[in-house]
Amino acid sequence: MSTHTATADHHGSDENKFQIYVQIAMLLAVITGVEIVGIFLPFATWLIVTGLVLLSVVKFMYVIFFFMHLRWDKPFCTILFFIGLVLASGTTWALLEIFGAQDSIPLTSITS
Amino acid sequence: MSSSSATIDHHHDHTTTTGIPNKKLLMWAFLASDCMFFGCLISTHLIYRLHPPPDAPVARDIFSIELTSFSTFILLMSSLMMALAVNAIQKNNLKSMRWSLLTTIFFGAIFLGCQVYEFQHFVHAKGLTITNSILGTTFYTLTGTHGTHVAIGVLWLILMYVRSFQPVNTAADRGWFWRGVLHIIAITGVVMFSMFAVIGLTHTLQAGEGLLAFVSHDFGLLIGLAVSTALSLFLARPRGPVAFNEANAIDVESMGLYWHFVDIVWIVIFTAVYLLEYI
Amino acid sequence: MDATVKSTYTGHEEHAPQTRAAVFWRPSAKTGLMSWLTTVDHKKIGFLYGVFALFFFLVGGVEALLIRLQLAVPNNDVLTAHQYNQMFTMHGTTMIFLAIMPLSAAFFNYIMPLQIGARDVAFPRLNAFSLWTFVAGAVIINLGWFMKDGAPDGGWFGYAPLTSKLYNPDHSIDMWVMGLQLLGVASIAASLNFIVTIINMRAPGMTMMRLPVFTWMTLITAFLLILSFPAITIALVELMMDRLFGTSFFEISNGGMPILWQHLFWVFGHPEVYILILPAMGVVSEILPTFSRKPLFGYPIVVFSGATIGFLGFAVWSHHMFTTGMGTVATAAFALATMAIAVPTGVKIFNWIGTLWGGHLQMRTPMMFALGFIWMFMMGGFSGIMHSAAPADAQQQDSYFVIAHFHYVLIGGSLFGLLAGIHYWFPLMFGRKVSEFWGKLSFWVIFAGFNATFFPMHFLGLNGMPRRTFTYDGNLGWNEPNLIATVGAFILGIGVAIYFGVMIYTYFKGEKVRRDPWDARTLEWSIPNPPPEYNFAVTPTVHARDAFWYEKHHKAEIAVEKAEHAKEDEAHGGIHMPFQSIYPLVASVGLFVMGLGVAVLGGGAAVKLPVSIAGIAIMFIGIFMWAHEGNEGYHIHPKKEDL
Repeated sequence: MSTHTATADHHGSDENKFQIYVQIAMLLAVITGVEIVGIFLPFATWLIVTGLVLLSVVKFMYVIFFFMHLRWDKPFCTILFFIGLVLASGTTWALLEIFGAQDSIPLTSITS
Repeated sequence: MSSSSATIDHHHDHTTTTGIPNKKLLMWAFLASDCMFFGCLISTHLIYRLHPPPDAPVARDIFSIELTSFSTFILLMSSLMMALAVNAIQKNNLKSMRWSLLTTIFFGAIFLGCQVYEFQHFVHAKGLTITNSILGTTFYTLTGTHGTHVAIGVLWLILMYVRSFQPVNTAADRGWFWRGVLHIIAITGVVMFSMFAVIGLTHTLQAGEGLLAFVSHDFGLLIGLAVSTALSLFLARPRGPVAFNEANAIDVESMGLYWHFVDIVWIVIFTAVYLLEYI
Repeated sequence: MDATVKSTYTGHEEHAPQTRAAVFWRPSAKTGLMSWLTTVDHKKIGFLYGVFALFFFLVGGVEALLIRLQLAVPNNDVLTAHQYNQMFTMHGTTMIFLAIMPLSAAFFNYIMPLQIGARDVAFPRLNAFSLWTFVAGAVIINLGWFMKDGAPDGGWFGYAPLTSKLYNPDHSIDMWVMGLQLLGVASIAASLNFIVTIINMRAPGMTMMRLPVFTWMTLITAFLLILSFPAITIALVELMMDRLFGTSFFEISNGGMPILWQHLFWVFGHPEVYILILPAMGVVSEILPTFSRKPLFGYPIVVFSGATIGFLGFAVWSHHMFTTGMGTVATAAFALATMAIAVPTGVKIFNWIGTLWGGHLQMRTPMMFALGFIWMFMMGGFSGIMHSAAPADAQQQDSYFVIAHFHYVLIGGSLFGLLAGIHYWFPLMFGRKVSEFWGKLSFWVIFAGFNATFFPMHFLGLNGMPRRTFTYDGNLGWNEPNLIATVGAFILGIGVAIYFGVMIYTYFKGEKVRRDPWDARTLEWSIPNPPPEYNFAVTPTVHARDAFWYEKHHKAEIAVEKAEHAKEDEAHGGIHMPFQSIYPLVASVGLFVMGLGVAVLGGGAAVKLPVSIAGIAIMFIGIFMWAHEGNEGYHIHPKKEDL
C-alpha cells in the first residue's frame, strides 16, 4: 500500500489514487475468496466465525477509509459515521444478548 | 491533466465553518442514521436465527453460495468503478467519469438481476416464500430492503449520468430538458431489458435448452434492449459544451458515498446472512 | 403574517440569468398563500410548525378532556370502550408527535439559525420538505376520525400482536403506521439539516463552546432523532408487512416473537423522551440567565450533561419492559443504566439553581414557566427514579403511577419549557410583548390545574389502578382521586384557554416593544423585531459566549467590525438569498398520496397499488425538478436601519 503518498501530499496524488483503488479492490476480492473457502474448512466453529467477522471488518474498514475517502477527509466525518456505527453495533449486540438469554428462548424451541 | 488544486480544492470548502462541504456532511450524517436502520433489520434476522422454530427450513439447503459469491464480487467491482468515477470528475475528466458511471450502473444492474433471479429461484424451486416461514420473512425483507437501496442507487446513477449531458447554453438548445428525460428512459430501458434478458437466458440454460430457444422465448426483451441501446447511444452524441465539470464533483462524491455504503452493508449481510449458515 | 417578513427583493438581478425553461418557474410571491406554500425561509417555516403544533395541541387536549370526563366517576358511559381506546391512543400520539415535537421544531427552525449568526439553514428547500411531510403525516394519522374504521386505537406504542391484522383488522392501525413513517421522514430530514447547519454555518468566532445552550440542545436532539427513528421505522415496516403481506415478524404461529416489537419500539421510544425534553431544557437554559442577569452557571458541564443524557438514553430502553420476563441479567443491567442517567439530569438542575443563586431575579412570565419547569420536572424525575428500581416497577408498571410520572416530565417539563419559550421569544418574532398580568395568570391556572390533575395519579397508581381501562368499579377506593383529577384537567384546560387567548390577542393588539426588551445575552436579540428576511444585515463576528452581551458591552469595537463587513458584503453584490420553490411541497404531496394508497384506501390491490405508485411518481417528479432547478438564489441589500 502506497501510504507514503498520503503523508507526502495530504490530498493523495491523483495517479496513486487510481492505483490505490484498484489494489484495494483486488484485496477485497481476495478476502472475499478466502471467506468463501474458509467456511468449508474443518476448523472449529468459533474459529471460523471469528475469522469471518474479522475479515468482514477488514473489508468494511478498507471501503470506508479509502473508497469513501475518510482517511483523507477531516476527522469529523469519521467521528460522525462511527457514532452511528458504534450505536448500531452496540444495539445489535445488546439485542442478541437479550434474546440469547435462557429466559428469552421461545417455549416451542425448548419443548422440541 | 495535473492536480486540480488550481481552481477547486475538493478537500476544503472555505464557505463552511469546518471546511467540510455541506452536502458531504449531510450524506455522512444520513449514513450514520442508515447504520441504525440496517442494524435493526439485521438484528431482527439474527434474532430469529438464534432459536428457529422446529419445522424451520434449512438455509444451507436453500442458498446458493456460488450465486451469492458472484454477486458479491460484482458489487465490490461496482464500488471500485464508483470510486474511479469520483476520482475522474475531481480531475475534470468528464469522459472517464461517464464510462465509470456506466460500468457502475452495469455492475449494479447485474447485482440486481442476480438478486431477482435468486428470489425467483428460492420461491419456485426451493419453496421459500416471504410468508411461509420466519426465515423467508426476515431473509426477503432484509435482502429486499438492501436491494431497494441498490435500485435507488442505480436510478440516481442514471440520473447523474444523463445530467452530465446538460448543455451550457440551455437557451439555445431548448429541447434539452425533454431530451434528458428521454435519455433517462432509454438508459433505464437498457438496464431493465438486459437484466431480464440475463435472467431469461439463465432460466433457458437451466432448462437445458439452447440459445435459439432463448432468443425466440425472450424476443421482445431483446428488441427492447436493442432499441433502448440505440437510443442511448444516439442521445449521448456530443452536442457542444456541457454544464458539468469539476464543480459538480461534490454531487458525484455524495452519490458515491451512498453507493459505497450500500456495498459495506452487503459486506455485513453476506457474512451474517449467508456465510454463517454454512458453519 | 407579513410582519415577520420585510423584503427588499425587487425582482431584478444585476447579472441576467440564462433564460430558463418554463418548467423551472420561480415562485416569487412575498405575500399570500403561494408565499407560504413555496417559502424556504426558516422563520416562516418555524412559524408554520408552531401554528400546526398549537392546533394539534388543542386537539390532543380535547382528547384528554374526553378521557377525564369518562373517568370522572365509576362505571361511566360518556365513551364506549372502543372510543376510549381511540382517545388515549390519539391523545398520546398527537401530543408527542404532533404537538411537542413540532413545537420544539418551531423553535429549532426560527431561533437556532439566529443564535449562530446564520442567514438560514444549510438546505432551505429540504427544510420546507420536512414541514410539508410533517403535515402529510399529521393528516394521515388523523383521517381515521372521519372514517368508518375510526382513529387508531392500539395505544401510542402499538404493541404487537394487538396491532396485528388478526386483532385489529381495519385500516386505523395502517393509518397510524403510515402517518408515523411520514413523520419519521420529516423528522430525520429536518434533523440532518440542523446538524449540518450547526456544524457548518456558524458565524466567524462562534466556536462550539460559545454556542448558546439552546443550540447545543438542538444539535443533540437532532442526533437523537437521526439515530433513534430508524429503529421505529424498521418496527413499523415489519408491522406493515405482517398486516399487508402476511409475513411473520410478530406472528407467533409461524415463529415470530411479539416481544421483538417492544424492543425495537423502545430502542426508539426511549431516546424519543429525551428528544421531547432536551429542547425544553435548552429553552430554560436561555431564560434563567436572562432573568437572573447572570451567565449560565457551569456552561461546559451543562452541555456535557446534555450530551451524556443523549448518549445514555440509548442504553436504557428495556426499563419499559421490566415486567416482560427478560431475565435477571438484562433487567439488572437496564436498571443500573437508568439510575445512571439520573446523574447528568441532576447535574443540570444543580447548574440551573446555581444560575439563579445570587442573581438579580426578574419574575417575568417566561421566568415563572422556567422556574415551574425546574420544580415540576424534578418531581417527574423522582417518580422516574422510583421506576428505575425494577422490583418497585413491578407494581408500578402499567398503573397510573407511570401516567403521573410522564405527565410531570412532559407537561411540567417539556410543555412548561416550550410555553416559556413562546413568551420569551414572542417580542422577537412579532415585535409585541404579552401582558405580564395575563401571562402570569395563565401560568398559575395551568400550574394549579396541572398539579390537581396529575398529583392524585401517583396515589391511584400505588393503589393499583391500571392504565388504559375505560372504566372502573366504585368500590376500589379510586373514586375521589379520579374526580379531583378530572376537575384539575378542566382547570388546566381553562389555563390553556387563557394562555391561547392572551397569545392571539397579543399577536394582533399587544403592546409593541423595542429591540431586545429583556436585555438578553444571545445573538437572536441583536436584530430587529420582527427580523428582516435576511436576518443579519451584517454577519456578526463572535468574540465570546453570550455573544450579544459582549456586543452590547463593547459597542465601539463591534461598530468598527460591522462597518468593515458591510463594505465587504456590498463588494460581493449584497446578501445572497435562496429562491422560493414549489418542489418540496410537490414531493411531500407525492408522499401523502403514496400514504393514502398504502394505508387509507380500501378496494384491495387494484386500487391501492396504482395510487401508491402514482404517489411515488409525484414524489419522484418533485425531487427531480428540485434537483434540476438548481440553487442559485438572488441578491438583496440590507436596509440602512437594520445595520
